[in-house]
Amino acid sequence: MAEEKKKHKKRRTATEAAASIGPMVKEFISGTLRAKEEGRKVAFTFIVCLYDEILRAMDILPVWTENFAGICGAKRDAERFLERSESLGLSRSLCTYALCGIGFDQWREELGEMPPDAPWGGQVRPDMMLSSGQILCDPRNKWYQASQLYMPDVPVYNIDLPYPLYEDDVEFTDVRDYYVKHIIEELRGLVAFLEKQTGTKMDYDRLSETVDLGERTWNLIWETYDLRRAVPTPMGTGDAMNTMVPMCFMMGTQEAYDFFLGLNKELKEKVARKEGVVEDEKYRLLWGGGLPSWFALSDFNYFNSKGAVFPAETTYRMIESMYQIYMPDTNDPIERLAWRWFGYWVFWHNKARKRPGSHPDVEWLIQYIEDYKIDGIVMHEAFSCRTWHLGLIWQLNQLAKIYKPIPVLVLGKDGKKEKTNRELPSLVLESDIIDITTYSEVDTRNRIDAFIETLESVAKSKVH
Amino acid sequence: MTKVVIMGEEIMSSVIGPTGPEQRRLANNVMKEALNRAGLPFKSISYVVATGYGRINVPFADKQITEITCHARGVASFFPDARTIIDIGGQDSKGIKINNGRPIDFVMNDKCAAGSGRFLEIIADTLGIKIEEMGELALQSKNPAVISNICTIFAEQEVVDKLAEGIPLKNLVAGILESLANRVSRMVKRLKIEREVILTGGVAKNAGMVQALSDKLGYPVSVPPEPLLTGAVGATLLGKEIAQKAKERDESPERKERSLKEIEIL
Repeated sequence: MAEEKKKHKKRRTATEAAASIGPMVKEFISGTLRAKEEGRKVAFTFIVCLYDEILRAMDILPVWTENFAGICGAKRDAERFLERSESLGLSRSLCTYALCGIGFDQWREELGEMPPDAPWGGQVRPDMMLSSGQILCDPRNKWYQASQLYMPDVPVYNIDLPYPLYEDDVEFTDVRDYYVKHIIEELRGLVAFLEKQTGTKMDYDRLSETVDLGERTWNLIWETYDLRRAVPTPMGTGDAMNTMVPMCFMMGTQEAYDFFLGLNKELKEKVARKEGVVEDEKYRLLWGGGLPSWFALSDFNYFNSKGAVFPAETTYRMIESMYQIYMPDTNDPIERLAWRWFGYWVFWHNKARKRPGSHPDVEWLIQYIEDYKIDGIVMHEAFSCRTWHLGLIWQLNQLAKIYKPIPVLVLGKDGKKEKTNRELPSLVLESDIIDITTYSEVDTRNRIDAFIETLESVAKSKVH
Repeated sequence: MTKVVIMGEEIMSSVIGPTGPEQRRLANNVMKEALNRAGLPFKSISYVVATGYGRINVPFADKQITEITCHARGVASFFPDARTIIDIGGQDSKGIKINNGRPIDFVMNDKCAAGSGRFLEIIADTLGIKIEEMGELALQSKNPAVISNICTIFAEQEVVDKLAEGIPLKNLVAGILESLANRVSRMVKRLKIEREVILTGGVAKNAGMVQALSDKLGYPVSVPPEPLLTGAVGATLLGKEIAQKAKERDESPERKERSLKEIEIL
């Protein structure tokens, strides 16, 4: 493993903004360690759980436990924590983020100090753990309960953040008010819990400012990512796996807003200079689902070496334009958060309803295929994460059924060529988010090579 | 297995040799053998395409092309109406959808030995029979055993246990082939199979497997005359096209520096 770690080089990024993320993440991990020493409150948290702005407004420092596990994976140093969890009796088939975090925390608690050579100084002991029931993601309920076995004095607070699943014959507006009311109650419960833990009352004016900053950041990210439609595209998914950091871990901070201002400027300049991710852009691909293998982000560079770029991805695109999300006339920041949550998750419902056989996730793919002039789709099935990966193959199958954008000639039964339309080529990679034992670089790159040849073959068959 | 095909107007020689752990160094040896059989000096070969997992370890190749593209081209040369290829080799299994001899979609299993020919090799060894005998044995069975384990190692143990229970060998072998056919057909069905379906790879020589797969898919499955060579034939045809196109332009095809020596690997 030491040899493996030594050999692993820093990934090449296309944008300066993405290159600046490493030090930023390192700083906010160090920041949590310093905060703890200074007596400030720190809380274990999950991404996309709506409490970013609430925590920021109360000066509670979030510790993004999925992020720390991802860092261990990216540094190819997760295995020892995964093995420790296994030795505690947890199955390797569970979420490997959770296994990594639990293994690390148990080790730290056993030693009374950070495990040896802890990545970037290690994950701090929290003052509280905030979990959240969310669709199928069981670790969001169970992870911190398991961690509590080793930190019994650290309280866990669980909130419920539901959203209606899609049904093509049911209008979500029928249940909307009920959902929003429930989410508002959950958030008010969270605020009460945090007030108790910190001994200070929520400053709602400050929360309003933070939520307002969050909403402006959403719009700025939307506008910035939209610049990637340019041909050649100035930024790919490899970089987006970096720029997701301020989006998912720093929402409601001026730092996040400023980061995207900088990225926006950088992309506009690149577009003006027609400077793409690669010099000769041949294929534009959509990362259509699945969390990446954090230890193998250089695979994006491998795609690039074949002239393939990723102008868009659905993974970690956790924002929409606030101009397109229904928001009632309210100044209550908790209500605004709840409406924003609901609006985001039902964003594609109405669009999907207009296309027979579609589904919000499929409609999202179609929209991006058209907006970003996509030639093929790549997905990643990470074996240990059921929540975000269940249904990917179904989505591809459904997409192929209802959306065939490529005109080609095929040999008919009478031996004559007939014009028809076919679906977009797709590639499914198989591995994990941080468990490197599931990954083979040779096999993965063999699949990528074959996919590039398939794209080439489809391009040749295309009737213009 | 390492295969070489040399082609002029038609196939001039072909070699199928064991790959073994030294394949990365010894691709030159199989090439020499093929040249000997064709009675040709190496310098008379106008273009060399390497394919398969070991393609990057063929130092005398002018171009590397994946087995997906090569299989598509090779199969189409035998079966012009082919639309779906199922290739089950020793290392992996894959499904390829093709149109006019070109790949348009593919799926691969390179993760699990139980979906590859290696599964059959291990079980044949456990049962003390030759792999070539499996097909005929399976076709004699009217009651294939149910092999429920999806891992090669556990399936091997299951076979041993069932043998001890007195289940006839032919039923066990038929059950094993059915198990492999199940796994492969599940994977390939992702492609929305279209006829004509062609089975290639070493496993295609197993008549019992051809039958089991055909039963699972609900389609007849055709097999080329030499199913181990279709990828190599495809590579040769693609190489030939590159050389011919260059000739039409009055140019020489772009070649790499060639040497039929062993490569050095650190």
